Amino acid sequence: MLSTLLKPTSGAATVNGYDVVKEPDAVRQSIGYVFQDPTLDIELTGRENLDFHGRLYNLDRNLRRQRIEEMLETVQLTDRADNLVKTYSGGMKRRLEIARGLLHHPKVLFLDEPTLGLDPQTRRSIWEHIQRLNKEKKITIILTTHYTEEADFLCGRILIIDFGRIVALDTSDMLKAQLEGDIVSLIFEDPLMISKLRPIFEGKNWIRRVYLVSKGDNRVNASKMMSMVHEMAGGHGTGGASQGSYHESGVGSRVPEPIHKIPPQDVGSKFSTSNLAPSLKRLDLLVDDGGRRIPAIVKLVDEAGAMLESVELHKPTLDDVFISVTGRNIRDQQGSFTEMARRFHIMRQARGGQRHG
Amino acid sequence: MVQPLSGQAIYVVLLRELIRYWRAKARIISSLAQSFFFLIVFGLGVGGFIGGVGSISYLSYLAPGIIGMGLIFGSVFSGVSVIFDRQFGFMKEMLIAPVSRTSIVLGKILGGALTASIQGVILMVVAAAMGAFAPSFMLVVGATAAIGVMLLITAGFVGLGVALGSMLKDFHAFQLLSTFVIWPLFMLSGVFFPIDVVSAPLQAAMLLDPMFYGVELLRWCLLGVGSPLLGPFGWLISLGVLVGFNALLIGIGTYIFARTQV
Repeated sequence: MLSTLLKPTSGAATVNGYDVVKEPDAVRQSIGYVFQDPTLDIELTGRENLDFHGRLYNLDRNLRRQRIEEMLETVQLTDRADNLVKTYSGGMKRRLEIARGLLHHPKVLFLDEPTLGLDPQTRRSIWEHIQRLNKEKKITIILTTHYTEEADFLCGRILIIDFGRIVALDTSDMLKAQLEGDIVSLIFEDPLMISKLRPIFEGKNWIRRVYLVSKGDNRVNASKMMSMVHEMAGGHGTGGASQGSYHESGVGSRVPEPIHKIPPQDVGSKFSTSNLAPSLKRLDLLVDDGGRRIPAIVKLVDEAGAMLESVELHKPTLDDVFISVTGRNIRDQQGSFTEMARRFHIMRQARGGQRHG
Repeated sequence: MVQPLSGQAIYVVLLRELIRYWRAKARIISSLAQSFFFLIVFGLGVGGFIGGVGSISYLSYLAPGIIGMGLIFGSVFSGVSVIFDRQFGFMKEMLIAPVSRTSIVLGKILGGALTASIQGVILMVVAAAMGAFAPSFMLVVGATAAIGVMLLITAGFVGLGVALGSMLKDFHAFQLLSTFVIWPLFMLSGVFFPIDVVSAPLQAAMLLDPMFYGVELLRWCLLGVGSPLLGPFGWLISLGVLVGFNALLIGIGTYIFARTQV
């Protein structure tokens, strides 16, 4: 709607001071848009794609040439500029699209899932481009993403939309601060125990909130578990290191090495090098000073006669914020029919930029 | 949404069509070869069997129609390529630019008309080399006029292609389009047989085919004669019909294109 491709059903919005309904051309000249799906002409070269764009946005010949060189340089495609786009890799296409979106020096750049389906290395390099653009060119960037770590890493302000409604809008730190304390995730062997334990936890005044998470993500669990294991082994009770480890080891499907060193009884749960079954049910507890509370929590579980598969401790991440404000885990929706309706929209507002509506 | 036309936008969309046409050499060659086979097999084969149509040889009679075939296939497919633009996402890039959709569609139509007409000119040269047209000064004038006629014919058919392409949502409909739209238009255009010798129902169907008038005009240009059915001013009638058809289809194509969602 802000890009003027769709007409608003009601209300008004302005972009760079122009009304999206009354001055669509002025709005279009002010924005750059990188769509989720590729929109390049693969039968043309990279340079021709940029040239086409420059002409459509009415840049004169000299300006066009100069900007095209500049942009190709920025996205490091100068040496491939005269190859047909169909010979480009996914990451190169993405970078070319970002270059194209910037060619006419927009005030606001829309990035729709800019790193969807890209490998971690390309993703990282695109993130760096985005940050540089924002800092150096003072362009307001609005990006939508499903990846909470992407939002966390890049965004000044984050807007979460659930079923078409805005459910949160703030900086990443402020959003996380709403969930002050630590998250203790309990994964049970028997999912049925959750319904039994939930009221027990909810009855404790030192547990601030209880979230039911229907499906854990194998890989994330494994890496989060690793951070907890480090802490337990070192005898520290805080979750300070969790976040760092989480980011570093967020990919990779095997259970990390350090786990071998921990005898199962140390943690009071059954660690093994095998993968966690994806169907495990999980309860997340928001507690103050989570590390110290784990023994008490484990004791409650024991008293109820339930068997724990694992326990994890981490500082609230954007994932937890998302679950907290929407009541669901974003990972559960992948592939589901309602996914479209439940898009996780994340918005970034740059310090130097100006954006209204 | 009424928006001003932008010459720059029309030009750049046209330019893209030309570049893409030039890059797809396999397509150029295959469609030229197809027309060439028609000329050889029908022109020399059937021509040897029936002799000629009126005072002209069958090859000569056939040549303008085969040129027309190249024009109609090239132009309709060029218009229908909006499906591919949409499928491969490039449409969004054009639609989000600060230019009107009318400019985009006009660029598309002009580009398609130009590329299909280039194809037509090549065929005309090939046919001339095969001896289809008697060399004379009048032929030079006629051939020049024929180029204008080609642009006229193709612009309308690109408009038709754009209209169809904007309505169809995927390229599975492509085959249907070819079978039920392009082939009938081609077969009924009087390429193979003169309208004067067929039965009334078939005559009526041919008279409803805009391409019939296109082929008729090409014959006037290149051979200096037309179907007796339309009389000595057949070329004027044909020109009038073509201009009307053009205006209508470019209008429809533009209208439908401008209204489609991304």
